[in-house]
Amino acid sequence: MSENPLLAPIHGITLEDYSAACAKIGSGLSEDDVAKALGVELPVWQEANLLWPERMKQDASFEIVTLFGQYFGQADQHPKFNGLKADTSAAGNENTVRIKSDKDFYQELEVARNVAYEYGLDGAQWVADKYGITLGDFQIAASLWNEQIHQDIQADFQGYTSRQDGYKTKYQQLFTDAQGGNVADDIQF
Amino acid sequence: MTDDNKKRTASFLEKLRQKATTQQHYGGGVPEEEAKMDIRDCPNCGAGRAYHKGLTSCAYCGFAFMNITLTDGIHIRKENNS
Amino acid sequence: MFDFFKKKYSNPELLAELQSRQQRWFVFLDRLEARMEELTDAGIPELQQVFKEDTDPYKRSHYHMLLGLMGQFNNMRDKANEVKEENIISFIYSAEAALPPVTSPAGSEYYRYVHDFRMACLDRYHLFDDRLNEALEALRHAAGEQDLESAYQQELAAFEKIKDQFTCKQCGGNITIPKMFFIDTYIPCPFCQSQNTFSPSTAARMVLHNARELAEQRTAELRRAYESSRPQDPVLYKKYLRAMFDEWNRIVPDMAGENEKFYQRLLEEYTFNHYK
Repeated sequence: MSENPLLAPIHGITLEDYSAACAKIGSGLSEDDVAKALGVELPVWQEANLLWPERMKQDASFEIVTLFGQYFGQADQHPKFNGLKADTSAAGNENTVRIKSDKDFYQELEVARNVAYEYGLDGAQWVADKYGITLGDFQIAASLWNEQIHQDIQADFQGYTSRQDGYKTKYQQLFTDAQGGNVADDIQF
Repeated sequence: MTDDNKKRTASFLEKLRQKATTQQHYGGGVPEEEAKMDIRDCPNCGAGRAYHKGLTSCAYCGFAFMNITLTDGIHIRKENNS
Repeated sequence: MFDFFKKKYSNPELLAELQSRQQRWFVFLDRLEARMEELTDAGIPELQQVFKEDTDPYKRSHYHMLLGLMGQFNNMRDKANEVKEENIISFIYSAEAALPPVTSPAGSEYYRYVHDFRMACLDRYHLFDDRLNEALEALRHAAGEQDLESAYQQELAAFEKIKDQFTCKQCGGNITIPKMFFIDTYIPCPFCQSQNTFSPSTAARMVLHNARELAEQRTAELRRAYESSRPQDPVLYKKYLRAMFDEWNRIVPDMAGENEKFYQRLLEEYTFNHYK
C-alpha cells in the first residue's frame, strides 16, 4: 500500500518487529531476549535499534512514527513474541489485562501517573509497584485507547474534562497526604 | 519570612530530596559495564566463524546463525550475508 | 412615577466590597509570591547538590526532585486560579447582573468601577503568573548543564587505553579496536579472521546517547545568536544548524550518514516554514 522507502526492513527487522520489540523491552524483556526472539544476534539488533529511530527522524510525513505507535499497541499479537514474558511478577497480571480492556481504569491510572511525577515520584515505577503494570504494557494500553479517547473528547468534551479533573483531585489528595501537605496549604484568600 | 514558614519549606524539601534520591527509578540503575570481547562458535558443528564467509550462516555446515537478510546498516553491510 | 427613575443609584456597599476584595486578592497573591520566593531560594541549592551527587547517567534523581518542586509551584498556580474563578470572576458577574443598565448614567459609572476592579485584579494575576514562570525557569536552569565535554574527553582517553587490550577468543592474537564503537560490533581477528563481537563500555554507549546534546553545547553561542536576532535571521539559523551537525558528526562519525539525512529534513522544514 505504501511507497515510503523508509519502511523497508533493516537487517530483515520490519517496523512491526521493531515496534513489538520496543514494547516488550518496556515490559522488562532484555535485549538478549528480544534479539533471540527476532532471530538475530546483538550487533544486528543494536543497529536496527539505532536505525529505526533515525528513519523516524528523517520521515517528514510522520508515517513511520504513526505506524510505530499502532504496531506497538499490537505487540501482544506479534507471533515472534508470542508467549514471551519478562521474568518479573509484574508482567501479565490481572491489572495488566484490565488496563487493556477497561478504558476508565487506564484513564484513571494515566492521570495518577502524571500526578505522581508532580510529587517527585517516578510515576512509571509507582504504577509498577502499586498495580504491577510495566511501562511497556502501560504504553500498549495507551496506544490501544488513544483513538477512542480522542472520539470521547470530541463527543463530550465537558464530560471528559470533568472525569479527568475528578481523577486529578483524587490523586493530588493522595500524594499530598503522603508527603504531609503542600507548602502553600496555609495561605488562604 | 516567619520561622514556621521556613520550617515548612525546609521539611518539604528534605522529604522531597529523600524521595527523589532513594526511590527506585523505573528500569533500575544503569550498571557500569566495561568493554568486552566475545565470540560465538557454530552451535551445530563447533567451527569458528570466519568474517569473509559472512555473518548469517556457518561456512562449514551451513547452520543458520540468523534467518534474515542483512541490509546496509552502520557497520554491517549487505556483503556480510553468507 | 418618573421620580423613581430620577433617583440617583448609589451602592456604597458594593464600592466597599470591591475595595476590600481587591485588597484581599492582592494580599493573597503577595503571600503566595513570598512562599514561591522562599521555596526557590531554598530549593535551588538543594537541586544543585542533588544534581552534583546524582551518579545516574540520566540524572533521574535530580529530574524527579525538579518535577516535585515544580509541582508545588503548579499547586500554587491552581490555588490562585481557583480563587480567581470563585472570588473574582464569579463576583464580577454577579455584581454586574445587579447593576442598573450600562446605558444609564449610574449604570455606566458603576460598570466602570467593576471594570477597574476587574483590570486591577487581572493585572495583578498576570504579574503573579509571570513571576511564577520566572521561578520555574530558574529551577529548571538551577543545576546548569551536564558537563558532557569532560565526560566525552574522559571517554576518548579511556578508549586510547583499552583499544589494544583485547585478544581474539579463537586464536588469542591481539586485536586492536580500530575506532570508538558505541554499539555491539563484529570485529574480525587479523590473524585467524574469526568473527569476534566487541561490546563497548556503558560510558562509551553514553557518548552516542549524549552526542547531540554535546554538539548543542558546543554550538550554543551560534544558536543564541540566531534566537536573539530580530527578525529571526535564516542565515544565522543555517549557520548554527550546519555547525551543530558538524560537531555531532565529529563526535559520532559512524552516524554522519544518518545525521545528514536528518539535517536535510530540518533544513527543508525550516525553509518551508520560514518562507510560507
